[in-house]
Amino acid sequence: MAAKGLSRAKEVCSQRPAVAKGATARGKKVIGYPCVYVPLELLAALDIVPYRLYGEMREPVTEADRVLPASFCPIMRSCLDCALKGRHDFLDGVITIHSSDPQEKTARIWQSYTTLPYFHFVDMPGTTRPEAVDYFASQLKGLVTTLESLSGKKLSADNITKAINAYNHQRSLVQSLFQLTRPSPPLLTGTEIVQVIKAVMSLPVDEGNQLLTEVIEEAKARKQKSEAQRARLLLWGSTTDDAEVMAVLESNANVVFLEDCGGYRPYRGKVSTAGDALTALARHYLTEITCARTFIQNVAAPTKKDYHKDLHARYGYLKSVITDWKVDGVVLLLVRYCDPFAFEVPAVKDYFASLGVPATYIEYDYTEGSLAPMRTRVEAFLETIG
Amino acid sequence: MSTGEKKRVINRVKAMYPLRAKVDESYLRSQEAIKAGKPTVWAMLNFCYGDPILKAMDIEVVYPENYGAALAAAGVARGYLDRADAEGFPTHLCGYSRANFGYAARLMELGGEPPPEAPMGGMPKPLFLLSSVAVCDARYKWFQALGRYLDVPVWTLEAPLPGIREFQLEGCYEEMVKLSVSHLRDFVTFVEKAVGRKMDWDRLDEIVNLMMEINRVSHEVNELRKAKPCPMHSRDFWSAMPPALFLLGDLKESLQLYKNLYDEVAERVENGISAIPEEKYRLVFAELPPWHSLDLFDRLAERGWNFVIESFGYHPPPPVDLSHVKDPLERIARYSLQRMVANYRDALQKNVVAGADVYIYLKYVSEWKCDGAFLHPLVSCRSASTHLPHLANILMERLKVPSLIVEGDIVDLRLFNPQDALQRTEPFEEAMEHYRRVRRELGFDW
Amino acid sequence: MAEGVHLGDLFFAGIDIGSTMTKAVIINAEGNIAAAIKGPTGAEHRHLANDVMLKALDGAGLKLEDVACIIATGYGRFNVPFADEHITELSCHAKGVCHLFPGARTVVDIGGQDAKCLKVREGRLIDFAMNDKCAAGTGRFLELTAQSLGIKVEDLAALSEKATSPVEISNMCTIFAQQEVVMHLSQGKRIEDIIAGLHRALAERVAALARRLGVEPEVVLTGGVAKNAGMVLAMGQSLDCELLVPEEPLLTGALGAALLARERTIRLLAEGKPLERKPRRLEKATFYS
Repeated sequence: MAAKGLSRAKEVCSQRPAVAKGATARGKKVIGYPCVYVPLELLAALDIVPYRLYGEMREPVTEADRVLPASFCPIMRSCLDCALKGRHDFLDGVITIHSSDPQEKTARIWQSYTTLPYFHFVDMPGTTRPEAVDYFASQLKGLVTTLESLSGKKLSADNITKAINAYNHQRSLVQSLFQLTRPSPPLLTGTEIVQVIKAVMSLPVDEGNQLLTEVIEEAKARKQKSEAQRARLLLWGSTTDDAEVMAVLESNANVVFLEDCGGYRPYRGKVSTAGDALTALARHYLTEITCARTFIQNVAAPTKKDYHKDLHARYGYLKSVITDWKVDGVVLLLVRYCDPFAFEVPAVKDYFASLGVPATYIEYDYTEGSLAPMRTRVEAFLETIG
Repeated sequence: MSTGEKKRVINRVKAMYPLRAKVDESYLRSQEAIKAGKPTVWAMLNFCYGDPILKAMDIEVVYPENYGAALAAAGVARGYLDRADAEGFPTHLCGYSRANFGYAARLMELGGEPPPEAPMGGMPKPLFLLSSVAVCDARYKWFQALGRYLDVPVWTLEAPLPGIREFQLEGCYEEMVKLSVSHLRDFVTFVEKAVGRKMDWDRLDEIVNLMMEINRVSHEVNELRKAKPCPMHSRDFWSAMPPALFLLGDLKESLQLYKNLYDEVAERVENGISAIPEEKYRLVFAELPPWHSLDLFDRLAERGWNFVIESFGYHPPPPVDLSHVKDPLERIARYSLQRMVANYRDALQKNVVAGADVYIYLKYVSEWKCDGAFLHPLVSCRSASTHLPHLANILMERLKVPSLIVEGDIVDLRLFNPQDALQRTEPFEEAMEHYRRVRRELGFDW
Repeated sequence: MAEGVHLGDLFFAGIDIGSTMTKAVIINAEGNIAAAIKGPTGAEHRHLANDVMLKALDGAGLKLEDVACIIATGYGRFNVPFADEHITELSCHAKGVCHLFPGARTVVDIGGQDAKCLKVREGRLIDFAMNDKCAAGTGRFLELTAQSLGIKVEDLAALSEKATSPVEISNMCTIFAQQEVVMHLSQGKRIEDIIAGLHRALAERVAALARRLGVEPEVVLTGGVAKNAGMVLAMGQSLDCELLVPEEPLLTGALGAALLARERTIRLLAEGKPLERKPRRLEKATFYS
């Protein structure tokens, strides 16, 4: 019997390349992407299978040393290292996007040192102003052009609307998934959620939605255990994809909300189906994804700025998360050399302090050796809030 | 630390000195104007995109990036870095930004008055902050983070940067122009509100014309440096560049000074005058120079190392005729985009997709006929360093030109060891000579 | 444990397995130390934990069954099969220090391979900052530089006392600092001044860590480096305050662990819960335990 729900998610995660190769065998194109800013709707509309690219914590970086300095985002560096070692050779191509410097710089090296049949770099503006949205939409138009050549298909009003609806459904499914961590104790662990989302990010949208539906049903059917109260944590950071990292965080606590790109962040809101599809996608991705790389400000053209108002405008969406998920503490988890998020650490700490929620900043270097020090810090933090 | 020796070896171009003096002059004038109550803005280097507008609105601009270098050179960055640490900023962040956070925290502690210990009178509390997404993430996240201390508006300038291949797609360039122009128009409105005055469009027009002309002359000066022997050393480029890069002071004066520079360098070319006593090796330098240890280049000059071209990021854009463009904002937009995209088509043809900042060095090395590249990665400035390993690879692969890699940092100046660099000169000279022979055999013309 | 357990009869143990030293402390119900042992951790800490525990028990004249609760802490805390619980060294240090200095609000711990700053209130850890990556802010900095000078770490304090004008060691990196030391020596600087300079450099690194939390008196210095009087002086100068130093700066973690073991037991007894313990044996930890 084919695996379903959580066991299917586990299966997919442990065999992602095999799953992708299966799609290739069925005649589909499979395209890798290292960042959730890449609008997957465009792939779905052209019947292309997405494959989320990550680094690999357990893989010592060797090849990337020739082409990138050591003081560099270890996630992108590891990702490139895997690419240079041929780990992604089964892909039909890669789409990169100007979300952060490391990705922009890695993209160019990637293109220079590998021979991928398809490669596209999408530029992204830094602000969310109307002209920025228009520019981003034009960049997406360029992406569509090359994807159409790759797939031999044309983007139509019909297939893009269908894709947007399918991904909007996925967003609401993930939002429902997170409702299952609201009870005490939560019906799903953070580790399980990360695994499910990791699987979904490398499946065609309908299969991903099917998987999410099964997991939600499975979790709802779980008997509520009455166990000792464990601290309820919110995880804030760039991205989390590693089961061992989650195991460290959850060895004595429950991660009930993941404000990162391996968790809730890519699934906030929904894309509008009114008007031009590319503009709707551009607007959604630019304004809804709460990544530190996008310059968000409280007023369109401020001539006076108030720090606390600004904090609320930037992070206020987390206020209801804190109350609704009964968060006891926040872990700000970043890899070393992550600039966009690191610049925000004092501000986001100020914000959580204003809500009376304890927060701790933990930095790691994306190697296996960083797990033990991470564990000490997580445990010490739990001891301070326990 | 410097090499300790004081002997000047490089034959400095006389016309450079008044240009260099403009930095201190305009700084002093700026200080006076600020004391007299003129509005001040803290800005990132914005490559002639936002600066023309500030200048047209008669706003004094101070550059925290430059002030960071000044703090480091004065040996007083440590205290501000420690303060940034105490404020909770992770330690891997750009050294200039951290020094600035420490400074800003102190500034506000003192009620907005520059700290008495700050060199050069410090930087006054600004009216607003002007950042830019160009070049790196730090440059706009930094100013956003300053909101913790300064409570003033921040404007972030856009800087579109498509891929080299992707740029060829239909309509890409025009969309970049559209973004840049529309964005600037909003920026003008923002500035008008901030200072309570309307833009003088005629003045802006004039400033843009002068800006383009100054940079055109600067570009021509660099073209003259292709001559053998090279008449003007990188040290002179770095000393002379601020008036063009930052639009300092009176632009008509600057234009005349650049013309004088051109004339003197042209004369040197005619008379075969070299920037150093005996040019044995021609070098390109990337990316940011070690401002605090520039006498290293005099030591290298003693060995016959002439630095003939450098620092793409500081170079003027290739000239372009925009006389048919009426709107000054559109001229600014097209001109500032030039800096990046002018070489895109050539880069694509040569199949160098790793970015404008890599392709340009292939052009520099082959047109300025360089024997070697001196690459200077900086530990806490990733944007000035990440392209360097690939650059070393591609220079060897395509042009058989070797690179010498000497590490440093922008604020922790002790990480740069000029003695170490000097010790590696002899083996590197052997490498340069070897590859000269290799190139000859392969049919290169230098 | 049988019913009718008397708190007064009980003993509690803490074992702190640090990266350089392993420490064990046994206390009685009043919180007085019955035994305190320390020894080098070495590469085989899994196997040594029980040896240290045995020594401590011998020292207190006790058998393993007499100890009501054992808490393991430190870097090797997961490799103590006979421990009832493990708690981070941060909380244990906080507890231990506050027991010795009830007015403590800031703890600065400089170990052989890491440095920790703790903010404490009424015996509890409320915030912390750690450096376990960079040697420049730990005891290792002094160890390496002393080694390159041919001096024993134990002799550093006496030498620095005779300093008249400490040199400025500006390098943040241990390796470069060593080069700087060589340079100062070649320039004829006195060894005493160089060592005082090294103390200052280390103190500044650690002070930067402490300032992330805000430094509030009373400030207590612990860890192996606290035995170096020159460092105590330098640290006090960097933090611009008086420092309190326990008599046994290495034992505060194990002491804190023992005190927390006692607290845990008292809590369980008060809640009428049995003192459940895994069946314990002092055997070598293996990969399968």
